[in-house]
Amino acid sequence: MNIIFMAINLAFALLIAPVVDSFEMKIRARLQNRQGPSILQTWWDLIKLFKRPTVEPQDSVKSFYKLAPYVTFTAVLTAYLIVPTLLPSSINFIGDFIVVVYLLGLATLSFVIGAFSSGNAYAQIGSNREVSLFMSEELLLAFIVGTIAVIGKSLSFDQLFPLPLRISSVLALLLLLLVIYVASARLPFDIAEAEPEIIEGPLIEYSGKHLGLLEYSMFLKRLLLYSLLLNFILPVQNPTRLIGYLLGIMILSVIYSTFEAYYGRFRIDQAVKLMKKLSAVALVVWIIALVGW
Amino acid sequence: MIIEILKGNDAKILRHDEKVILALVPNDKLRSTAELLFKAGCYYATGVGVDERLLGVGFSMYHIFNCESEKRYVVLKAVASNLRIPSITPVISGANWAEREAMDMVGIFFDEHPEPLRLILPDDWPEGIHPLRKEFHYNERPPRIEFKPSKKEKKPGVMEVPVGPYHPTLHEPEVFELHVKGEEIVGAVYRGFHVHRGLEKLAEERMTINQIPFLAERICGICGYTHNCAYAQAVEDAAKIEVPERALYIRTILLELERLHSHLLWFGVAFHLLGFDSGFMHTWRIREAFMDLAELLTGNRKTYGMNLIGGVRRDIDEEKKKKVLEIFEKTKKETKEVLDNAAEMKELISRMEGVGVLPKREGREIGVVGPVARASGIDTDVRRDHPYAAYGDLEFKVPVYKEGDVLARFLVRYEETFESFWIIEQALDQLPPGDILSEDYELPEYAVGIGATEAPRGEDVHFVITEGGNKVYRWRPRAPTYNNLPAVPIMLMGEKLADAPIIIASIDPCFSCTDHMVIVDGEKVCRCSLDDYLRRL
Repeated sequence: MNIIFMAINLAFALLIAPVVDSFEMKIRARLQNRQGPSILQTWWDLIKLFKRPTVEPQDSVKSFYKLAPYVTFTAVLTAYLIVPTLLPSSINFIGDFIVVVYLLGLATLSFVIGAFSSGNAYAQIGSNREVSLFMSEELLLAFIVGTIAVIGKSLSFDQLFPLPLRISSVLALLLLLLVIYVASARLPFDIAEAEPEIIEGPLIEYSGKHLGLLEYSMFLKRLLLYSLLLNFILPVQNPTRLIGYLLGIMILSVIYSTFEAYYGRFRIDQAVKLMKKLSAVALVVWIIALVGW
Repeated sequence: MIIEILKGNDAKILRHDEKVILALVPNDKLRSTAELLFKAGCYYATGVGVDERLLGVGFSMYHIFNCESEKRYVVLKAVASNLRIPSITPVISGANWAEREAMDMVGIFFDEHPEPLRLILPDDWPEGIHPLRKEFHYNERPPRIEFKPSKKEKKPGVMEVPVGPYHPTLHEPEVFELHVKGEEIVGAVYRGFHVHRGLEKLAEERMTINQIPFLAERICGICGYTHNCAYAQAVEDAAKIEVPERALYIRTILLELERLHSHLLWFGVAFHLLGFDSGFMHTWRIREAFMDLAELLTGNRKTYGMNLIGGVRRDIDEEKKKKVLEIFEKTKKETKEVLDNAAEMKELISRMEGVGVLPKREGREIGVVGPVARASGIDTDVRRDHPYAAYGDLEFKVPVYKEGDVLARFLVRYEETFESFWIIEQALDQLPPGDILSEDYELPEYAVGIGATEAPRGEDVHFVITEGGNKVYRWRPRAPTYNNLPAVPIMLMGEKLADAPIIIASIDPCFSCTDHMVIVDGEKVCRCSLDDYLRRL
């Protein structure tokens, strides 16, 4: 049964991730006095991209360039087997939290390697920025994982979902909310893509199916991070979990896209400085958790 | 003061009135005169090369200086002997482009020019053919020549990032070659004039004086009306035409309306480049109201088509006046709300503060104009210094900031926006009765006229030599971006790549206005595959 439930979870993610993106676009549009696209727009965009042929740039390292979108996509999908979405069933083992963090890291890494191997100047600047942002956010994430592990006394999602209500767990989840915002490349942190500056940076040379896969994995990654956060809050074996989960995604979407609509873009040095400050805060939260509050 | 400088240098005064001094300067004294004028506080506005062979003179160069202290334009005329004129670029760097343009278009050589390269003509244009000479016809196509681009040296550790020719920031085809070390810009080269439209040639050969205003308006899609006005003023100056006062007030109202919509457009673009798309959407929503206002007053949302030589074509009646004030009440509040909110956003300010600094001294040498100059502490405004239209009767402030960074340019435009509201309200209130067009004039033969307006981006200078009948002999429009662009590489040096778009946009560039003249038909010029064509670029 577990396997069937997991398949349902995966199918839900694959179907709904682009819809969440359209939903956010719609909210942003309303905040900007615009009509906004239909709720299925992202799906139409993806379908169009998958129909288009792909072009490989002349100067690229072809094997890396072609492989990168598949690795990114698979890495994110694999993480879905460990983090439950719609139904509370998943593969669990000791240290699966670490594996999810690594899988997300692998997705970013392959994305960056693919961009680097395209040989485009804009892509290289973009991936440089992506790497520096990733590094700065990694330290923060490490502290958060540490805090959560201390609170739940485990590194397996089995025992971590949901977190007990304590000062440190609330603070840790708030920080996680921030990290998710940064990791999902939203304004003001979409520095790597920055359309008016470096024309989508790492994505610039990608086209057709490859571009579609990369964008699809971005949407999937956002939904995965949402689910991760919600799982820490929602009760596990309870029929209200389903409603809570769907409602939670909508609430998170509204919060995040409202923030996005009212921000300008940071420069990379400003973003890194901010992440350093947040890391210091996370260190304090970790100490609070160790004390036992 | 200025007249003494000119007389002391053996200049022959050809015209001397309250607006313009035109002097013929001997070639050996040209450079020293120009230097003295610059030291006396005149900055270089533009230069015009003219083929005056039909007048029995030969080739000549007119250097136009804006002397704010005396509220006059000073024109130095130099006649080429054996096609040569000494260059004044070594003493005034602002003359660089104007002289190179004259080299390309008229074929005058400037002795000791530090950078005698092509500026406007494309690389595959044959040597010795100069489009603005009188024997070259507007529909002539020169043969294509083979041309090989020179190989560039690569510096280790420096990456070359092209911003353009098609880049989402520029919106028009131009190239800034940025040399980047990591994120820092260590070098910047500008290469422009990709969209030369041949307007001057067309006007001289094909059009009559009352058709050219409509051509002049098409120089720019955003600040077209001010070009239209500057041209009309230049012809009115040359022919000494008295324009009815009511027409002058109507021109003022429309000029300021244009500034409002242009500044709001700039705010929107700047917000978009800083990633703040909500601000972009809201400013453009408000801008829509000004376009509607323009439609109410002129019949067109943009490219008003209002001016003729001697006046305007449509009147503003009481009903329209009331409607304008009604809409103003609402838009003024909305504009203030959106811009104030944006000015309070810390991360927007932190992206603009201290970025892209242009020092006052270098700005003066290049001759930057408009908000760029005013943000660098140069107190210049054509509306105040050389009053035209009805600006002499109206009251307004000219904001000046010392910092010279992007934020200062933002603030200058911010204050100007609200000054424009105030000017329009005054002008509507004081609108005098009477005619709106005087048609009782005759165009003199070979008279020189200068028309200058303060476009949203800075000083617009139009230079006209009339031919008599209903034709012009030479017309040279100079858009403000022409003077501001050479300052951009200075602003870019040492900055972060992420700031390059907002720095380039901070001068409110209008590339096509600058590149005002040659159609390059890809199909006819190059019969080759796209790959070959791209390789050739």
